Amino acid sequence: MSDTPLAKSRARPVYRNIGFGDLAHYRLPIPGIASIVHRVTGIALFVCLLFLLAMLQMSLKSEAGFEAFRTVVWANPIAKIVLLGLLFALIFHLVAGIRHLIQDATVWLDLAAGRRTAFAVFGISVVLTALVAWRLV
Amino acid sequence: MAASSKFVSEWWLQRISAVIVAAYVALVLILLMVYGTPNALQWQGLFANVGFKLATILAIIATAYHGLVGTLHVWPDYVKNRAVLSVLNAYTWVAAVAVVLWAVYILFGLK
Repeated sequence: MSDTPLAKSRARPVYRNIGFGDLAHYRLPIPGIASIVHRVTGIALFVCLLFLLAMLQMSLKSEAGFEAFRTVVWANPIAKIVLLGLLFALIFHLVAGIRHLIQDATVWLDLAAGRRTAFAVFGISVVLTALVAWRLV
Repeated sequence: MAASSKFVSEWWLQRISAVIVAAYVALVLILLMVYGTPNALQWQGLFANVGFKLATILAIIATAYHGLVGTLHVWPDYVKNRAVLSVLNAYTWVAAVAVVLWAVYILFGLK
């Protein structure tokens, strides 16, 4: 079998775990993308918790502290983009988490439902983030 | 046997803590959506309410636990160097404990 001309001319694919170097040409299916974004948003939220607490303390310490948050942090375009990014991370992690809880109940586990609900998680979290941001800005 | 029951209870605690945080986040987002951006008086008045203080500290303890367990599970999938992994795990534990202690100070010890 292995010495037929066809087998020699065609390179056989090698299957193994993917690494970061494969990401550029590896087409991750949408449920896989939802899964990795759930992880990234979780880590980002955990790492930023202490910064969020610093801002909470600032806003609660005094009226001047609250105004300082509004005029120094919230008025800064870069800080605002970071905070709105964290808002998206929070909402995405929440919506994707609800999908996981539903899947824990062995609902929507087939491939078609997995793709549909993963798309829905992205759509719902973008819309919810936009709505909250619109009320805050 | 003992190890497997530890993982089962960890599985449940990760979901229970998630539901607690989700309920609190939903409450805060609904308040923001309904009332819009608060002023200093409204914001500090909300956090002066004892019921809201207790809900907040419960949500932060649940967040710290959920983030601790989740983060400790994610690091070893990407970090293979054992020394780096130890540093990340130590950071994760310190950050989780610090978040709870600092939140207690902000909510019950400030002023």
